[in-house]
Amino acid sequence: MASISLKYKSKQGSLTAPGDVDPGAMIPIATTTLSTATATVTFSNIPQSYEHLQIRGISASTASQAILIRCNNDATNIYYNHELVGDGSNASANSRTPRTGAVIMPQGMSATANIFAGLVVDILDYTNTNKYKTIRSLSGNDLNGSGYVWFNSSAFPSTSAVTQIDLVNNGSTFVQYSSFALYGIKRAGA
Amino acid sequence: MAYTYSKIATYTVGSGGVASINFLNIPQTYTDLKIVISARSNRTGTNVDTVKITFNSSSSGYSNRGLGGTGSSAFSFTNVGSASIEDNAATTDNSATANTFGNGEIYIPNYTSSNNKSVSSEGVSETNATNAYQFMTAGLWSNSTPITSITLVPLVGTTWLQYSTAHLYGIKAEL
Repeated sequence: MASISLKYKSKQGSLTAPGDVDPGAMIPIATTTLSTATATVTFSNIPQSYEHLQIRGISASTASQAILIRCNNDATNIYYNHELVGDGSNASANSRTPRTGAVIMPQGMSATANIFAGLVVDILDYTNTNKYKTIRSLSGNDLNGSGYVWFNSSAFPSTSAVTQIDLVNNGSTFVQYSSFALYGIKRAGA
Repeated sequence: MAYTYSKIATYTVGSGGVASINFLNIPQTYTDLKIVISARSNRTGTNVDTVKITFNSSSSGYSNRGLGGTGSSAFSFTNVGSASIEDNAATTDNSATANTFGNGEIYIPNYTSSNNKSVSSEGVSETNATNAYQFMTAGLWSNSTPITSITLVPLVGTTWLQYSTAHLYGIKAEL
């Protein structure tokens, strides 16, 4: 079997990919499945060895409150938020004045037996100290006759690397069996 | 060990910026391709730019339609008979809040097949103001040739600015 070079391939200008590839880009970091109702789920001491982060989760809440992401335990009113939303009849877009977290789901789904909302959150270049951290999320819930799909964007306006992420049920709690998984995405050559 | 999700190439824009980001000689050993892009262009005045995609240096056979938000209203659009797939994966422009870049991804399934090529993308720009944009786009390249190169340029701006990044990944259907 031919060996695979681990040559670092990131450079400026046009980039070739001659077949030197490093396998294994998406790495699970941590998973939490709630055994009891919980207001905040924390991923701490996030390794700084990846390029991007992705969170995948299913959630339901004890009341219909927003679900936020906070970075580095910063709960000040600095997070920008914008959304594109569909409710099954209409599409609309909204912006929000800076809030205490990045809104990834404007309305957490109130607990209905065995029905959970799904969400995927992407934070690119989370260790990059030249960039604020733009957060993209796709989420939705369907209750067999009602529900929403949200495409949210947010920004954590800090050039600090992200070392901690809190998923916050803002004014409510995540119910039992809500589950969240954090993944690290590598860059070529890593 | 074989992997499902593999890193192919990473591009980081240096000082002075670049007009285009090019992935060349793409291995034909995966099933799908995925690009994640965090970029800012030199366009001004709108807080947003988007990505134009071309394959194999071709300038024909492209079309797309999409759904978007402006921060205050939703819209839908279509482009037919274009020289590229437009409005993919929103990026910020150079009027957006400093240090703020877009966040998007572009997914190309079955890129080596002899069928026409479909593209799915989503992306957001961000800024500390009302008007920031979200785009979700479905695109088509009416060409049966396997994709061996991809070029990404700003739709309106002429330069990707320093610290913009694009990463190409290969997704394998079978191990």
